[in-house]
Amino acid sequence: MSLSTKEYFIRETYKSIKRNGLMSLASVSTVALSLLVLGMFLLIFINTNNLAQYLESQVQITVYMEDSVEAPGLSDMKQTLENLPGVLSVTEVSKQEALSRFKERLGQQEKLLHSLGTDNPFPNSFEVQVDRPDRINELAPQIHEMEGVETAKFGQEIVEHIFQMTKILRIGGVVLVILLALATLFIIANTIRLTVFARRKEVNIMKYVGATDWFIRWPFILEGMTLGFFGALIANFVINGTYAALLSRIYATLAFLPMVPAYPMLTYVDISIILAGTAIGAAGSYISLRKFLKV
Amino acid sequence: MLLMTDVSKTYPSGSVALRDVNIHIQPGEFVFVVGPSGAGKSTFIKMLFREVIPTTGNIYVNGVDLLELKEKEIPYLRRQLGIIFQDYRLLPDRTVYDNVAFAMQVIETPYRKIKRRVMSVLDLVGLRKRANSYPTELSGGEQQRVAIARAIVNDPLLVIADEPTGNLDPETSWDIMRIFSEINESGTTIVMATHDKEIVDNMEKRVIAIEKGSIVRDDLKGVYGYES
Repeated sequence: MSLSTKEYFIRETYKSIKRNGLMSLASVSTVALSLLVLGMFLLIFINTNNLAQYLESQVQITVYMEDSVEAPGLSDMKQTLENLPGVLSVTEVSKQEALSRFKERLGQQEKLLHSLGTDNPFPNSFEVQVDRPDRINELAPQIHEMEGVETAKFGQEIVEHIFQMTKILRIGGVVLVILLALATLFIIANTIRLTVFARRKEVNIMKYVGATDWFIRWPFILEGMTLGFFGALIANFVINGTYAALLSRIYATLAFLPMVPAYPMLTYVDISIILAGTAIGAAGSYISLRKFLKV
Repeated sequence: MLLMTDVSKTYPSGSVALRDVNIHIQPGEFVFVVGPSGAGKSTFIKMLFREVIPTTGNIYVNGVDLLELKEKEIPYLRRQLGIIFQDYRLLPDRTVYDNVAFAMQVIETPYRKIKRRVMSVLDLVGLRKRANSYPTELSGGEQQRVAIARAIVNDPLLVIADEPTGNLDPETSWDIMRIFSEINESGTTIVMATHDKEIVDNMEKRVIAIEKGSIVRDDLKGVYGYES
């Protein structure tokens, strides 16, 4: 491609955007709006995914020991548990500790404990954290079989519910993002079709004087990319502002909700939106031109 | 320059546009294609720049087999042709100069070559002074001259004109024909479909008459042969 041809493409793109001023503005707004929806959804998706991950990481195995196991046996047990594959950490919870935790939880109703007398009904136990939640199903029975272990619990039903929910969230999220991207593509293709339609005579004449299809396409594709790019910029501006505002609200009122911090996540989201906007703009132009190039 | 053997065209609708057409046109010839409306002239013309592909038969334009031509190669065929329409087909938002230069930009001619060549072609059609006018400011005859300038600016081997004088008065038509004659004298082959009896009868060029899709006459120094 020669320099004057590149110059020609850039000049044509600029002229076309200017010539179709109102139309270009409409396209940019449409792109911005579609990408805004896409971007907002992306943030929701990232955060639910984060929440799912958080919930999954909360799952742990609690190992209750028989009372007959004494101190040396307990520290041996701790070692054994730590050496199991996939185990991240093992926390020992002594009888006394379990009791005082329970007291704390009872709060005002601490008096209830007096009926127990001096007996401590709580067993010694270990809290086992694993690297992947799906490991729990194989580890728990294994631990249960060990010498001195009363029982190993992990709230099977809850874990399975969480897994199912996070799976649905992930698949549903991916499907929705794809659908939204397709809808955006469709909207942009339609908007650009109008500019192409206004210039179909020009395209026609270009074909008759021997322009290659790519020569005809380039200015339109550059136009689509430019419109997509500016639409994405506007969308990003709104997305970043909204997320920052949302975060400060949530920190103030729902501090326990694990939100993904704004940065670096927003940088990645911004870059994806800009890439998506530009790519969708180019693809939209390509699609709308196809019909007019068949001469 | 142009060879058609046993060319037939049946449209998907079932209508037969051309039937067993055989033609051989030598380089430098000037050929009129005449015949009643709907006889197949348009199909014939469109086949030359491969807008229409024959159902059967073979077409060679300057040695290129149009049936073997791939979609991608069509632009390169058209660069050797100059195509002129009855309705001029100029771009209304560009000046005369830009309309002609456009044909050179499209085939990626270096910038500095474009200016010199466009001005010399505008000279040839007598519109050098109107270079900065817009098509809407020109008369029909002037617009057609711009279209001719655009068609010949890339030095085509073959100029194909589909009723170029169809929208013009007799005097203006003769202006156009004088330009065509000049182009032809410089060695360019011209194939022109027309309904203009006076022009055909006075030019004394080869005349091919098409009726109901078949060639019924092919005379050197022929006449129009229909009531105008």
